Amino acid sequence: MAYSDKVIDHYNNPRNVGSFRKDEEGVGTGIVGAPECGDVMKLQIKVENDTIVDAKFKTFGCGSAIASSSLATEWLKGKTLEEASKIKNTDIVQELNLPPVKIHCSVLAEDAIKAALNDYKKKTEATKQDKEQPATTSS
Amino acid sequence: MCWHCQSEVGGEYFCKRCVKVQPLSPDLDYFTCMKLPRILQIDEKALEETFYELSRTFHPDFYTTRDESEKAISLGNTALLNAAYRTLKDPFQRVEYLIRLEAGSAKDIRSAPPADLFEEILELQEDLETYRTVNPAEDPETANQLRAKLQASREHLESRLEELESALFERFRRWDELQGQSGHDGIDPRPQKDALLREMQDLLSHRTYVRNIIQDLADTLG
Repeated sequence: MAYSDKVIDHYNNPRNVGSFRKDEEGVGTGIVGAPECGDVMKLQIKVENDTIVDAKFKTFGCGSAIASSSLATEWLKGKTLEEASKIKNTDIVQELNLPPVKIHCSVLAEDAIKAALNDYKKKTEATKQDKEQPATTSS
Repeated sequence: MCWHCQSEVGGEYFCKRCVKVQPLSPDLDYFTCMKLPRILQIDEKALEETFYELSRTFHPDFYTTRDESEKAISLGNTALLNAAYRTLKDPFQRVEYLIRLEAGSAKDIRSAPPADLFEEILELQEDLETYRTVNPAEDPETANQLRAKLQASREHLESRLEELESALFERFRRWDELQGQSGHDGIDPRPQKDALLREMQDLLSHRTYVRNIIQDLADTLG
């Protein structure tokens, strides 16, 4: 079974490899794993005014997992949070021509996007609360 | 029903009337095929004996003079037999198979991933990457420091792997206990069984991640 040209391209020239500092403002981090193969993926988004201005990933796993997350970061850039939440693993499967045994890699990328979005939401809500509540409240 | 003479057969390997070999049902689970109860601490000797016995019954070498249908059945049965033996012989494949059987699909009982483990793995992978790019001739100190750090992590992970595996084997014992009491005391053991299956699934995935990173460490450190 051969990888598609697109997978090989993303594997050889992965886009947006790297990471942001987790505590940086506007950064959402998603770390997920695939229990089937033990691959681990980290995907981060940088958000300004509800729009994703930058995205980075680090994936330790097979070519398809790397390609799926590389593609995901390309797609995320410029999207609003709302649009980003609509990216489906099937879109990735289609774009990369993934064979059935590698579909879980695209699921992993979708999970990573969702985790990063959730993390961003949680973070912004927490800072909002901090700002709204006076410092006298103790937890 | 016998494929050849259409007389009744109920799971026998050969038709009583025409003595033709019968295909094993594709619905037959591996435990039943190997005449074992659905437990995890199996009698490995019994498994091997059944495997040899059934191999002697079905092996294609004994069917070279038979007609094409019988040859095909012998081949199909032998393939099933080999898969069953290989799966049940290995304790990790055995429990994975059992989870699939019991849950329909092991994916249905996927649960919360070990987040702190992922962090640890990512950090280690980054150290590994740095270590691969450091030239020991130019910067022996950094190379040695990193190597020592990675080596320590490797030892730590190896003992963690052992702990995970003994935790898993402890659940093998509890599963077999539940299988033994099924129905005796009037309490439905299903919820307990499902909880146990989930725990075992978690331990298995955890083990996969740890084994992967140990493998990566071994590949680089030698």
